[in-house]
Amino acid sequence: MIPTLTEGAAVLIVVLVGFLPTEVWRSLAVLAGRRVEAGSEVFHWVKAVATALLAAVVARLLFAPAAPLVAVPLLVRLGAVAGGVAGFALLRRSVFAGVLVGELVLAAGILLFAR
Amino acid sequence: MHGARHGISVPALVLFASYTGFGALLQGVGFPLGAGVLSTLLIWALPAQVILVGGLVAGTALPALAFAIGLSSMRLLPMVVSVAPYMRGGRRSTFFELLCAHYVAMTLWVEGLRLLPHLPGEARVPFTLGLGNMLIGVSMSGTVVGYLMASSLSGPLAAVLLFLTPLSFSVLMVRNATAVTDWLALAAGFLIMPFAVQLDGGLDLLVAGVGGGSLAYAVGRWHRRRP
Repeated sequence: MIPTLTEGAAVLIVVLVGFLPTEVWRSLAVLAGRRVEAGSEVFHWVKAVATALLAAVVARLLFAPAAPLVAVPLLVRLGAVAGGVAGFALLRRSVFAGVLVGELVLAAGILLFAR
Repeated sequence: MHGARHGISVPALVLFASYTGFGALLQGVGFPLGAGVLSTLLIWALPAQVILVGGLVAGTALPALAFAIGLSSMRLLPMVVSVAPYMRGGRRSTFFELLCAHYVAMTLWVEGLRLLPHLPGEARVPFTLGLGNMLIGVSMSGTVVGYLMASSLSGPLAAVLLFLTPLSFSVLMVRNATAVTDWLALAAGFLIMPFAVQLDGGLDLLVAGVGGGSLAYAVGRWHRRRP
């Protein structure tokens, strides 16, 4: 629990601690990235870094998850993601099918192992 | 409007569900709903929002929390740089470029790289704004619904909701990976992270992201240049 936080204080925190540190990168990218054209070497590098950063965020959500997921064994979490990717690949590359398969694997894993 | 119609899709459903999970988290820790919905509109990056709320619960000092959020949002810079050439279309306006850049997060980056190259130059800014407004609106609704539903969610259901974020991100990244470099970057970021998490000083994302991405770029470049 967060100790008493008024709506106004929370709005200030969202703007100063959340919005500014996030928006600064988007604005910097526009101002600094103007001369970067699609297909250039710099473009290939920043795209690789963005992809790896996102994969790293996903890995952190899986390996060090928030409260409700801690009770689910790591192997079930990893298995559910693997199942989701496999479902996506096998079922006509449908994102919806992939997410559905992944969630079904997770639900089955919770029923079998997390009781 | 063309952009808005593309907003009603599987990625929008996934966003709605993920933000339902975020709304439930807000209710669970006692974060005010209005400020939480504002965070969806202004921050518009779920990992950063989750870090913000989680950090407040953990009692992290606000400057340290701002630094951590800055690190987690650094991935937006290369994302905006790589999609901006497709968003700016024909004539250049700094105002519209900054405005369009605000909408860039996981979903708009993936959908933008997929759909924008097929559009004529003058249609790209309206398309981005239409799609972006639709996605943010859907996500703000999800935040409210999750907050209101939270009291009736049981443990396993909360786990299933929370799992939507890493699961859908994984599937979307696999869909978007085409070149050798993309696959290498995915693997490098994912495999380095479990080891980088153990480093002190909040540098784990930098090591796994910038290090792993640069490694993937170097190997991919060698692969592209190979005779």
